[in-house]
Amino acid sequence: MAYVAVKGGQEAIGESLKRLEYERLKKGRTIETRAIESGLQGLIDQVMSEASLYDEALAALAIKQAQGNPEEVVFLLRAFRSTLPRKYYSRTVESHEMALTRRISASFKDIPGGQILGASPDYSHRLIDFDLKREEADPFIPKRWLKAYLKEIEENEVWETPLKYPKVMDYLRREGLMATYEADETEPEDVTKEALKFPSKRSQRLQILTRGQTGAVTALGYASLRGYGSVHPTVGELRVGELPITIDPPFSEETGEEEAYYIGSIRVTEVESIIPRAVKTPSGDYEEELDLGYGICYGQNETKAIAMSILDRCLEEPGEAPTHDEEFVLYHVDSVEATGFISHLKLPHYVTFQSKLDSVRKTKKGGETQ
Amino acid sequence: MKRRHRTEILAQSPTKLLRELSEQVENHHAVKVLEEPNSGLVMVKMRETAMKSKFYLGEVLVTECKVLLGDTLGLGILRGSHKKRAYYLAVIDAAFNAVIEESQELAERIKEEGVRIQTALGRERQQILKTKVDFETLDEEVKA
Repeated sequence: MAYVAVKGGQEAIGESLKRLEYERLKKGRTIETRAIESGLQGLIDQVMSEASLYDEALAALAIKQAQGNPEEVVFLLRAFRSTLPRKYYSRTVESHEMALTRRISASFKDIPGGQILGASPDYSHRLIDFDLKREEADPFIPKRWLKAYLKEIEENEVWETPLKYPKVMDYLRREGLMATYEADETEPEDVTKEALKFPSKRSQRLQILTRGQTGAVTALGYASLRGYGSVHPTVGELRVGELPITIDPPFSEETGEEEAYYIGSIRVTEVESIIPRAVKTPSGDYEEELDLGYGICYGQNETKAIAMSILDRCLEEPGEAPTHDEEFVLYHVDSVEATGFISHLKLPHYVTFQSKLDSVRKTKKGGETQ
Repeated sequence: MKRRHRTEILAQSPTKLLRELSEQVENHHAVKVLEEPNSGLVMVKMRETAMKSKFYLGEVLVTECKVLLGDTLGLGILRGSHKKRAYYLAVIDAAFNAVIEESQELAERIKEEGVRIQTALGRERQQILKTKVDFETLDEEVKA
């Protein structure tokens, strides 16, 4: 019966879609995808990360279509992704291969290679810059700025060594202040292929967190900091840079790094948070030990990566707070799942709601006669 | 010239150069397209640094093309939607896999391009390093 009502809405739906298009076009200007790509990097990074699909041009097109609504953009990208074949798995990317564009530590002032601020709004005044309106009237303003900056680069000496530095944490490991781990070669689980079951594997947790909705991951990480969890970290190292992606040759026996195909690089934010933990010694005393929380995401999205590192650590250790409950965290941070489920409440529930109304009426009536 | 090094340079080279290199091969050899350039995904496998375990970071959109040069297969694959570039890369790859007469010359030109890219990257690195905090200056300022 519910379908009858939906069928009758066909014309109305057609007109509604026209209204949507009208809303996009009514101010007489459309935004070029290239303008989105050059001017909305932050949004592109966020949606690529939440969609778990890296492609700036595609993200820009989806942003245009969804009129900048991130949840719709992520839905479009995930839907598109599902139509494509997964051709290959990359060779394991090691993060020390990252070519850095930014790298800071909140734990140590002096780190080998130094604190490189790179590009970040952290050091800006965060006052609205009304001068930006001027460049719309005079396109030569940004052009002149860019030309001068590029000239500065052109006049630089050539810095031969790639900006690839060892991890700050490795020094603490060498001092024995932090647990060391052997490389674990276990192949990861893939949450896009197999449904999540509890207790979850570490690879599943990291995959779900890295593709989690920025706001959700941030909110839960923040909740843990405020007391709904036992994790309070110091950022050991935060890196932004380019990771090279390679695949093994699919048609030959030759393997190994040198015979791999380089397919391009991706920009990521990676965070290692240091988290102190009290450990009981055999003699019954407690000793402070340092643990690491790991966070990473596509693009430059530092808040999300730090929040992920908190949640990673929360889920590695037992705790009473909800942020230590893997079901609570992992089932609720995905953008498509969360927004999809909330949105479904808008769908017709006429029949089910009618039966609910009937039962309320019956109870009321029953109550009156008694 | 090993494939990893070669493909890294080519991925960053302008399309014009890729076309020229590809044409250099096609002018003397018959190239058959085995798989037209098409889109697909590569799943990125990553090792995290807290416990050194592996996990999947996410997928990357790629364009892939396969060609045959005689009996030798050539694969062109790169991040993004770039059909022509994928084709050129496949032809160049086939040329190296088959080791034809032109391979040496191709390698020389790719090497040259590699030097150009490294120089540009080196200048960019220097610019990034200008954002490095100089704590000695900072300490002096605090003392003053």
